[in-house]
Amino acid sequence: MNHSDTSNIVDEIATLRDALFHLALLQLRNKSEAEDATQEAILAALESHTGFEHRSSLKTWLISILRFKVLDIIRAKKRLLPVSNMAKLEEELDVTVFDSLFEENGCWSAPKDAWSDPHSHVEQVQFFKILEACLTNLSPTASRAFLMREWLELSPDETCAQIGVSSGNLRVILYRARMQLRHCLDLKWDRNA
Amino acid sequence: MSHQVPITCKDTTWLVSDARERELTSEEKAALTAHIEHCELCQGASKQFEVLFRQLGMFLGKSGSP
Repeated sequence: MNHSDTSNIVDEIATLRDALFHLALLQLRNKSEAEDATQEAILAALESHTGFEHRSSLKTWLISILRFKVLDIIRAKKRLLPVSNMAKLEEELDVTVFDSLFEENGCWSAPKDAWSDPHSHVEQVQFFKILEACLTNLSPTASRAFLMREWLELSPDETCAQIGVSSGNLRVILYRARMQLRHCLDLKWDRNA
Repeated sequence: MSHQVPITCKDTTWLVSDARERELTSEEKAALTAHIEHCELCQGASKQFEVLFRQLGMFLGKSGSP
């Protein structure tokens, strides 16, 4: 790798800082912790970027480094007390919000547009942007639980302990998150292809 | 197979979500497959979930971009 490649990568890493911070914030829901995780991930990336092989995108590589930093922070932290605000939890567990999507007999009430995977890099960037916006729309509890499962790959039991809910409640929280994401993408993604 | 309890579209969405946390039982898998096979709406919805989970994996750095 020559000098200009190196400085390109350093510049590129810097431009991805905001995206990394945003993901860390979605998971941690704490600005200073998210800042720390981002900073540490970037430092680690700068130290080892000569080892970056272009098998994955730079962003993917950075996100995988960030994942370890976020995991460290979560595991070092004392587990949260159970969600104390019962009204809040009830809201998180309300699945009747999806009732309008289904008929009384449990059938979908409207046909589903056929999605396809993004066909190009440009389309994928667009998809990711919408996905990120949709993740941001989830409640703090839902996005934390969802990302603990889908990104950090904590077990369901560990996720329950971290969020402070029963496994039954976690099941509902994750169901709601997935239904909301599908719905949000369905509204925002123009997937005509 | 003939003793399968039919499930609704709503039920399929729960199974699709649950499958991310645990292996579905063979009865659940059979019921899910049988329902989706005959339900155009669920074919659309399950394709959407498939794309969502695949792209999410890429977004979160689980696999390379195209």
